[in-house]
Amino acid sequence: MTPALEIRGVSKRFGSLEAVRPLDLVAQRGALIGLLGPNGAGKSTLIRMIMSLIRPDTGELRVLGGDALDMKDRIGYLPEERGVYRRMRVEDFLFYIGRLKGLPPSGLRARIAGWLERVELPGVAHKRCQELSKGMQQKVQFVAAVLHDPELIVLDEPFSGLDPVNARVLIQAVRDLHREGRTIFLSTHQMTQAEQLCQRIVLINRGDKILDATVGDALTRFSPRGIDVEPVIDPEQACSALRQMPGVASAQWRSEASSIQVAIDEGADAVSLLAAIAQSVPARRIEVARVSLDDVFVRLVEGHGGHARVPVRGAA
Amino acid sequence: MGQHRFTSGRTGRIRAIAAREFKQTVLTKTFIFGALLLPIALVAVGAAIPLLVGGGTTPVVGTLVVADHDGSVAAQMRLSFDAMRAAGTRTAPAPAGTPLTMPLGEFDGAAMPDDPPVDITVVRVPLSADLQQEQARVQSGEILGLVEIPVELLQATPPAGVDISVLVPTASPAKTTAMLGRVAREATVTARVAAAGGDLAAVRALLSSPTAATARVSNQGQRSAERLEVRVILPAAFMFLMWIASFSSANHLLTSTIEEKSSKVIEVLLSATSPLELLAGKILGQSLVGLLMLGMYGIAGLAGLTLLAMTDLVDVFTILLFVAWFLLGYFMSAAMMAAVGSAVSDLREAQTLVSPVMLLMMLPLMLWLPISENPTGIIATVASFIPPIGPFVMVLRTTGAVEGIPSWQVAVALLINAAGAIGLVWLGARIFRIGILMQGKPPTPLELLRWARAR
Repeated sequence: MTPALEIRGVSKRFGSLEAVRPLDLVAQRGALIGLLGPNGAGKSTLIRMIMSLIRPDTGELRVLGGDALDMKDRIGYLPEERGVYRRMRVEDFLFYIGRLKGLPPSGLRARIAGWLERVELPGVAHKRCQELSKGMQQKVQFVAAVLHDPELIVLDEPFSGLDPVNARVLIQAVRDLHREGRTIFLSTHQMTQAEQLCQRIVLINRGDKILDATVGDALTRFSPRGIDVEPVIDPEQACSALRQMPGVASAQWRSEASSIQVAIDEGADAVSLLAAIAQSVPARRIEVARVSLDDVFVRLVEGHGGHARVPVRGAA
Repeated sequence: MGQHRFTSGRTGRIRAIAAREFKQTVLTKTFIFGALLLPIALVAVGAAIPLLVGGGTTPVVGTLVVADHDGSVAAQMRLSFDAMRAAGTRTAPAPAGTPLTMPLGEFDGAAMPDDPPVDITVVRVPLSADLQQEQARVQSGEILGLVEIPVELLQATPPAGVDISVLVPTASPAKTTAMLGRVAREATVTARVAAAGGDLAAVRALLSSPTAATARVSNQGQRSAERLEVRVILPAAFMFLMWIASFSSANHLLTSTIEEKSSKVIEVLLSATSPLELLAGKILGQSLVGLLMLGMYGIAGLAGLTLLAMTDLVDVFTILLFVAWFLLGYFMSAAMMAAVGSAVSDLREAQTLVSPVMLLMMLPLMLWLPISENPTGIIATVASFIPPIGPFVMVLRTTGAVEGIPSWQVAVALLINAAGAIGLVWLGARIFRIGILMQGKPPTPLELLRWARAR
């Protein structure tokens, strides 16, 4: 089966700004990929090229084995800039989008009602879009993106601006769609959600792809090789004791985390050291230090020259 | 996945867009009030005004007291009212050629077309009678009115500043009052001529003016009768109707495009359809709105012509040709408005770019009089072949030139303007496909041209 998404050497320039530098990316069918990056990194430009809304300057882009223009009925898209017909009723709006996506009129209203229930929006079908809160409108737009059972779902910042309850509803819907076999490609800069949801992450900064790995690989690769100790004795006393232990490179008290960060010597075994510390330093908590996707993001972006860029003008 | 998919394709999408565009325009309060209820209300008010002002066809029945010097005016008035009663009511159409206003001295005792039916008894009293008492009877509504004819008005050379006095009750309809005044005036003239020993019939014959039968002769020697309503009024009605319908629809297209951009729904739409399909659907939908308006106003116009017994002024061919001119004019206006709408983010920004388009669209209105004056002249002929004003000019010419327009000119104008419409829609579409996704400051006209040339 052809990949859901194949991007080879795709780039886009707006005037003097290189929004996306030559970039390769392949998404197999059924994958759930998170596209991460700071503001202005080129995420939305890349997504708009995938959706054929803008044309790449170079490279080749194939969606579901063909040109995205011919695959519109098989792709679901939630743009970053949300929009609805404000005076239209929710059901009519979704009916219209469903018809544009090639759904037959028979059964379409029942399908809309089903999806509104699924995203916990019962009773809004006959309300005008302008009567809904921003979060509710966002859920309506999500339904518009997935109503036609697309094979590939592209979501640009799907959870931004949602309260935790509504975000959880949409996260669950995304998980369900993925479980049903859809390929999902979503952009976000909410790392916690990406970590929970995505199998694989692609990080871009200043138009360059700087990471393409599974979430597990990324976390392992950037693991700090350290141990966190929350002492029950005086922290300075605990630090002195730790520094004298074999295999410990350094021990530093971090008041903001209320713990001592222990760095391990190259070649030392973290598990043995963990047991040794437990015997030597009275502690409330001792654990191998974990890295979060947030840490990986910050470290990679800062190592790539930060994220300050001239905002993209001209293209929507 | 996708087992329920219904591949309606491009046509289905264009149809869905057109249907939404049509419904979202005609089902708004603004449209229903502006385009549907307002004309109906205007027609209703127009029909009601004569009833309200003139008292309608309610017969005028009662006694009219006439105070005059020797009874001669009262006698003439009695004759007039009898003649009017015998002639019937205003529902009888005026004979062809009846002037709208009859010059003084030509009164022949017949009812004017707008007179209500009458059954009036004239009671004559001398000028020396107690007119205060008669006035009290008028005030109480006991009699229709009191007419006082000063004796000076019966002299061969009546002095200036002496008037007939007509007193009527406050509630008397305006049409009744006007009719009483007119009959009193004319009876006074008749009595004056008789007092001077003249023959009214002879005077009337002397004063009657012949009509001038004007005809235009074409280059080919063809004669056609001159008719003001055909030459000026009918073309203006057709052209303004077409202008209003095409301008309104094109304007709806502009605002709906801007709304889709400003509400950010455009990206959702473009994930489902291509810019060209979107544009085609929108133009098609708004053309239906224009045709609906044309149909509504057109039917009202035809009803008016039927009432005025002037249906000979239009025929089926003229109407079909008119629809063709409308569509050509509309497509050109719509393409320009869609291009402008796609390039801006709100109505305020649109003003700069809309101005030149508006100027172009106003040209036919400015050319209305010169072209109506000479629909086969050089200005009219050349303007017919210049898109986008050509269709509007051709409507003026084809409906106004009683001498006829050469068929080749109609055919060439159709071809050139059809080519112009295709060209402008193509150009508009090229701008639309780029402009619809642009944000930021509005483009200059030069940038628009660059977009049109872009790959």
